Amino acid sequence: MKKSFVLLLICMIMLTACGSNSNTKNNAEAGTTGAEKAKEITIWAWDPAFNIAALEVAKAKYAAANPDVKINIVEYAQSDIIQKLNTGLNSGTTKGLPNVVLIEDYRAQGFLQSYKDSFYDLSSSIKGADFADYKSGPTSLDGKQYGVPFDSGVTGLYVRTDYLEQAGYKLADLQDIDWKEYIEIGKKIKEKTGKALITLDPNDLGLIRTMIQSAGSWYLSEDGQTPDIASNVALKEAFEIYKEMMEADVANVHADWSQFVAALNSGDVASVPTGNWISPSITAEASQSGKWGIAPYPTLPGNDKSVHASNLGGSSWYVMNVDGKETAADFMATTFGSDSEMYQTLLTDIGVIGTFKAAASGEAYSQASEFFGGQKIVSDFAAWTEQIPSVNYGVHTYAIEDILIVEMQNYLNGKDIDKVLGDAQAQAESQIK
Amino acid sequence: MRGFWERYKFHSLFIKIFIVMVFSIVAVAIAASWTTVRMSERLFMETFSITNSKVINQIKANFESFHYSIVTATNNTGLSGTIKSFLTEEDSNSLRVLRTYYNMTTQMKKIQSNVDAYQVGIKIMGKNGRSFSTNTNNLLMTDNELRNHKLTLNTLAEPKRLMYQFYQESSTVSSKQEAEIVASKALMERTTGDIYGTLYITIQEKNFHTFYASFVSTGNDVAILNKEGQIVSSNRAELLGQQADDLLGYAQKIESKGLDYVNVDFKGKDMIVLADYLSSYDFYIVNLIDKKTALGQMVDSKMVALICSAIVLVALVVVFLISRRLTRSLTLLTRQMSKITERNFHNYITVTGSFEFQELGHAYNYMLDELNDYVDKLVHTQKEQRNAELAALQHQINPHFLYNTLASVNFLVQQGSKEKAVQTIHALISMLQNALSNVSETITVMQELENLKSYVFINHVRYGERIRVNFFISPDCTEFYVPKLIIQPFIENAFFHAFNRKTEGYIHVLISQDAGSLICEVVDNGDGMDNGHTELPGAESKRQLFTGIGMKNVHDRIILLYGEEYGVTVVSNINEGTAIKIRLPLILVSSQN
Repeated sequence: MKKSFVLLLICMIMLTACGSNSNTKNNAEAGTTGAEKAKEITIWAWDPAFNIAALEVAKAKYAAANPDVKINIVEYAQSDIIQKLNTGLNSGTTKGLPNVVLIEDYRAQGFLQSYKDSFYDLSSSIKGADFADYKSGPTSLDGKQYGVPFDSGVTGLYVRTDYLEQAGYKLADLQDIDWKEYIEIGKKIKEKTGKALITLDPNDLGLIRTMIQSAGSWYLSEDGQTPDIASNVALKEAFEIYKEMMEADVANVHADWSQFVAALNSGDVASVPTGNWISPSITAEASQSGKWGIAPYPTLPGNDKSVHASNLGGSSWYVMNVDGKETAADFMATTFGSDSEMYQTLLTDIGVIGTFKAAASGEAYSQASEFFGGQKIVSDFAAWTEQIPSVNYGVHTYAIEDILIVEMQNYLNGKDIDKVLGDAQAQAESQIK
Repeated sequence: MRGFWERYKFHSLFIKIFIVMVFSIVAVAIAASWTTVRMSERLFMETFSITNSKVINQIKANFESFHYSIVTATNNTGLSGTIKSFLTEEDSNSLRVLRTYYNMTTQMKKIQSNVDAYQVGIKIMGKNGRSFSTNTNNLLMTDNELRNHKLTLNTLAEPKRLMYQFYQESSTVSSKQEAEIVASKALMERTTGDIYGTLYITIQEKNFHTFYASFVSTGNDVAILNKEGQIVSSNRAELLGQQADDLLGYAQKIESKGLDYVNVDFKGKDMIVLADYLSSYDFYIVNLIDKKTALGQMVDSKMVALICSAIVLVALVVVFLISRRLTRSLTLLTRQMSKITERNFHNYITVTGSFEFQELGHAYNYMLDELNDYVDKLVHTQKEQRNAELAALQHQINPHFLYNTLASVNFLVQQGSKEKAVQTIHALISMLQNALSNVSETITVMQELENLKSYVFINHVRYGERIRVNFFISPDCTEFYVPKLIIQPFIENAFFHAFNRKTEGYIHVLISQDAGSLICEVVDNGDGMDNGHTELPGAESKRQLFTGIGMKNVHDRIILLYGEEYGVTVVSNINEGTAIKIRLPLILVSSQN
């Protein structure tokens, strides 16, 4: 009686124990990663041949000294980066944002002014004065250095010397020309070779921008806030040149980057007036070695202020104010912020012309380029860099450009130039304010 | 070894019970945990497959909404005259081309907005050789390559269908091996049916799998298969692009038979496979659940086993203790009972243990009580009987003795020895007084001595004094009690039998104390007996005797009264005499019975 009761009890205990046991669950692992120095940083950039390649060099350099830090380089199209940044910053969360991001100089102020707190002040890590002077405008705010200036956007007129010669010109003839003379040459080339002079994207007014910057002018007046369109003489001239180019039928059209590069590499166009960052894409087509030369940028005809130098694009690195910022800042400061030797590598291997002043004294900067017919292109670019008129890009460059793109079409379709610029001014003022 | 066996014999019940218990507990534990684990597994599988089919529906919905955006974008592209003219028109002057390009890009931006929610790239390619791509990261090949690529050829083969194809970047331009899903459709002139271009909407696999990425976990994988059985998307990157005909087979089986799920062996792992068909994509969505991993998270068999063993161990200890406690009383009982030997009924059992054993012990003790009681009664009765016998014998005072004594008194009176006659009468009175009183009474040695002296006196009167009697009494023995008429029969015997041939001699009566016993010796130097006939003679000739009590009776009586260690011993040699030794306990208190 007693025994069977005890047995029953034991069985019950055992069964309940077994039953309840199956309900035990593994506890989810708690989150890790403390506040110590992060071991992993993420960097966003575009253009594998240029920016990404430069990053890889920096990564290798940094990894040698800091083997425990993992650097993830993520490639996105520039538009994706802008979109992701806007989305992330707007939503106020730092989740999903990288540690370092590449931002084009035109857009930099837009981000810095809107989301100042989301960027990490690098004043203690790097000195703005170590870089080309015109870079300090986009990369700093309120006296604080936020960006690590990267590539120079100094422009040049890349020309096919073989086509020039066929049309009866030499590279020397292009040393001091204005855009009207450029179009005339283009007509000749088209006549002799059937090749277009230039290739243009109707949605990108980069050419206009370089033209007006060469004259020290911008879409915005010097305060960086007020649209300066209707009364902008340089802009008006640039529009007229653009239309003249179209009417002279010397322009090829492309719609995206690959088509642009394809046009250069296939030999469809005779010249490209653009930033020096195009060099790697041009030299990528080895069969054209020796057939290219770089002339100073043409000036706006009849504009005294216009010089043979301008800027297009160019971008800088920004450290985001997220976990791991110290590591990211350290990475940036020890590579792009101070390593002039690395800039030599970047130049020789990739063709990156940096804006780090100390690097300009390196021997790679004075070497002649075989691809460009023995021209010392880097020192040429360096000389032109010094002449670039400094302008305030402000925060609305692309907002205004979007308006101008539409108005440009109207202008090409026959609308009066003053009306075009006046309408654009009105639209810009209403949009910006 | 034998000791061990002996011990084992007493514990055999315990060992048997314990072994049975061990086996049952272990069996119950194993069965219970196995059943529990099995049941929870089955339950888990059921719920898992239900949840996962819901999950699959959710994933499907995600795919459908993506598909819908693609369809919208495709339709808008097909309807757009701007795009059509971009893709059909021949190169003319710069201005016109620029305008076409501009309008096209404006249009494409609008179309792009249909799919803005997704990270897709749109590419259009026309028969005039023009193309436009919104995302230069996707479809990294030249237009010519693309034109002759399987992607395009498949699309053109079925121009009315929006098809989804898998494409793995293998371009020399980039080292990336990015996998992509390409939705493509031929752009067709609706009235004539002429194909003027192709539309490609590409999404990188890593973005494609965000449609289901939030539903997967370790051991719960999703793979998207195309009709050919190629894995076009999966959260497990290593499966990407692989041919998985077996999975396709399972998916088709599930689809055609309307099964909920199938249990399969995939890549050496026991898996549950759920599948559904994405008709708009012509893809199969396959959900692979690794039983081991999924269940491993749910049921920790090792833990179950561990806890069960712990419980079994505890149970065994408890069972051991309890069954030992239960059987110990029995073992004890058995041991105690086995100690009972012949004629020893005084081994009472210590009553311990559970109720049953207590009852048993009580019953046994009661039985012993009864038995002892009975034996006591029996002994008592026998004693009574013997006493009665003795009393009868004692009271049978031999009339011859009286006659002879009285005749002797008469003779003495006649002789004029008046003094002696009075003494003889006194002795006779004393003897009769002693003999006629209660036979079971004990008397002191002193009193007995008086009696003996009276008896000897009478005999001397009757038969003369040729046999002398001497008494040697140790002074420390005079106060001890002895049964009545213990020594008298031996002196009588010596008087009448020891001196048949010899005419004179002596009889010594010695009473002393030795080793806790009272020793009474009657020693004569008479004829003696053959050593072979030393047993005590019974009372034969009654003529001269005082009472009917014989020597044999005395011995039996002593044994009856005091036990085996007491009694009468005889040592005799012919012509030397006889020594009789009576051993009695030292008794200081008179007893009535």
